[in-house]
Amino acid sequence: MAKPAVRLRVVEVAVFLGLLLLLGRAAQVQLLQGRRWAEEARARRTERIVLPARRGALLDRHGAPLALTQETYHVGVAPNELRDPAPDGELIARRLGISGRAWQQALRQRYAYFGGPYSALEVEPLRSVRGVHLEPMPSRFYPAPALARATIGRVADDGGGGGGGGGAGASGLEKALDSLLAGRPGAAVVLKDRAGRAYESPARVIAQPVAGRDVVLTLDRELQEIAQRALDDALHRMDAEGGDVVMLDPATGEVLAIASRQRPSAFTDAFEPGSLAKIFAAASLLSHKRVSLTERVSGEGGSYRLRDRTVTDEDPQPSLTLGDAIRVSSNIAMVKFAARLTPAEQYATLRDFGFGAPTGIEFPAEAVGRLRPPSEWTRPSAASLAMGYELSVTPIQMAVAYGALAHEGVLLQPTLVREVRSPSGEVLYRHRPEPIRRAVPAGVAAVLRDLLRGVVERGTGTEAALTGFPVAAKTGTARRVVNGRYAAGQYTASFAALFPADEPQLVLVVKLENPRKGSYFAAQTAAPVTRSMLEQALAARTVALDRARLSTVAPRAATAPPEDDGGVVPYVVPWPYRPDSAGAARRRIVPDVAGLDMRDAVRALHRRGFRVVFKGWGNAVHTWPPAGDSATAGAAVTLFAAGPMPPPAPGPTRSAATPRQPVQ
Amino acid sequence: MRLKGRHWIAAWLVGFLAVTWVVYARQAAAIRDARELADLRTRSAGLEARRADLERRIRAAQGRAILVPRAQRQLGLHLPADSEIVLLPVPGSGSH
Repeated sequence: MAKPAVRLRVVEVAVFLGLLLLLGRAAQVQLLQGRRWAEEARARRTERIVLPARRGALLDRHGAPLALTQETYHVGVAPNELRDPAPDGELIARRLGISGRAWQQALRQRYAYFGGPYSALEVEPLRSVRGVHLEPMPSRFYPAPALARATIGRVADDGGGGGGGGGAGASGLEKALDSLLAGRPGAAVVLKDRAGRAYESPARVIAQPVAGRDVVLTLDRELQEIAQRALDDALHRMDAEGGDVVMLDPATGEVLAIASRQRPSAFTDAFEPGSLAKIFAAASLLSHKRVSLTERVSGEGGSYRLRDRTVTDEDPQPSLTLGDAIRVSSNIAMVKFAARLTPAEQYATLRDFGFGAPTGIEFPAEAVGRLRPPSEWTRPSAASLAMGYELSVTPIQMAVAYGALAHEGVLLQPTLVREVRSPSGEVLYRHRPEPIRRAVPAGVAAVLRDLLRGVVERGTGTEAALTGFPVAAKTGTARRVVNGRYAAGQYTASFAALFPADEPQLVLVVKLENPRKGSYFAAQTAAPVTRSMLEQALAARTVALDRARLSTVAPRAATAPPEDDGGVVPYVVPWPYRPDSAGAARRRIVPDVAGLDMRDAVRALHRRGFRVVFKGWGNAVHTWPPAGDSATAGAAVTLFAAGPMPPPAPGPTRSAATPRQPVQ
Repeated sequence: MRLKGRHWIAAWLVGFLAVTWVVYARQAAAIRDARELADLRTRSAGLEARRADLERRIRAAQGRAILVPRAQRQLGLHLPADSEIVLLPVPGSGSH
């Protein structure tokens, strides 16, 4: 056994070596590996989080929101943390809309998770409940879910794309405009405790999130609703398989409404337009001066035999001018006239109107349609194209092409985007009309509009005629292609209209797929739908129509004598709330309304185009200016009545036909 | 007056306590502010949700699908034909 001194020395050396080892290790950890360990410690103490950027909103042209991003929540429940499981559970189940059985199942888990997402309103009472953990997440919210849904599209469910709207745009405008809407997410660092829970302390922001831009669309909410309702009603009434409605402002190329059933087929599904395209054959003939408007061709008794096919007319005529051919939609006359064109001329005109090429509208996966170059034509191609066959177009292409006829022959780029605004509201982009090319000379476009006007006044489109406003339009009834073949007994009824016929403000294209109930002809199906939509648009206050200009093209409505109204109360469209232009100032005679009751007196004055200011109530006594004098149309005429003004009625009961205050 | 050792210790102690108190006060204030901020965010989100919900309901109520049938049923109104619509021209201006 060693001596104590030796043992002591051994212990000393061992301790020294131990200390040396410790010091070495400390040096290794602190000096050599210090940075790595510091990183690891920081990673355990802190967490880098993504600060989502608010996804920009989509608004209609008047600023009404169509798509917004809102904070929603996933909800986690730790049953063992609940203070009073029975009442708490009842509250949680009620707010989250889960059944009692599902809640009982959740109670058996350590941590129950409900994905939702639940709105802030739904989870509000749960915030104070111990054991309930709310996980915020941004979600895309559509205030009017049915409105233009196929066009607006949706965002992906995941949080990808950096957007704060619940994900990147997955379809429709949400996808097409994703780079504008998404914004740039930020980043921050939060402190965590040992259990990984974030401390209740402010996060250290590394990069602020940048909100996405708001996009003001060209869609008019009210016109969109009118279009959707009219389409739904037509599809239901006619038992049609599908359909589309497009409304376009021909002066700017802005799409005002676009309605389709389920899919955005107005952009993606091409159809053979049939007679709708005859006007473009006429455009080519007139542009190339191959026909005069007085020239006639034989109607061939309604059946015309070509080398490899027979062309027939529904409404045989002995002889037809180009105007007649358009008016009664004569296949025979159009084939005969179009034979004067070379294939290159016929093709060039169709191409100039934008057929066979994408319109370039801001919509993903827009269909191009089909227009084969002359080198691929067969013998009957020229005749087929004159009648609107061997050509397929989308409803939006057709609307743009008719828009060119309305816009003095200039084809405009269609758009769905009116403005782009920064998160602070600054306008970064505002749409200006973008001409693509001149499709036909302005004079030819005017002649073509006259031909289309004849369709509504005396031709196949009379069902779309309005009493007070001239409409120019064309019907189209074409055999329907299903799986690459013409389906027996199936037709596509379509209608394209310019409203009003002079200085058009609206281009409407209505397409109905295979109407099975009643007539399948566009004249009886799509034309009345157009008329109904125009009437509703006229009566709607906020619709983007320039009523000041419309008032100058409605002479019959403004000058009709009061006794001709058949007792119908007129809907008086008030002073244009945002007039873009002014109408003509004509002087009119103030009618004698003495003795009439107030309603009839107001009606009589409105019929003459005057505004009315009331003095008193009851039967009319006299007016100022007096009856027989003249006043400028649109001027205010003061109507003096026998009795005093009644006190205002409680509640919002005012209507356009019930005057309680000066009608402006 | 020269400070003795114990005074130095006391001064250091006071200094340490003061610094510790400042740190504590700052942390406490930060946590209080964070809590307040979180509450405000929550309230703001709640109000936003309420606003959006009300807006949705107003828009739904203003929609033609609701308004037109109700106006027809309760007020006896109808959608006017174009012949029933009178547009008043703007006075005192030239033609377009």
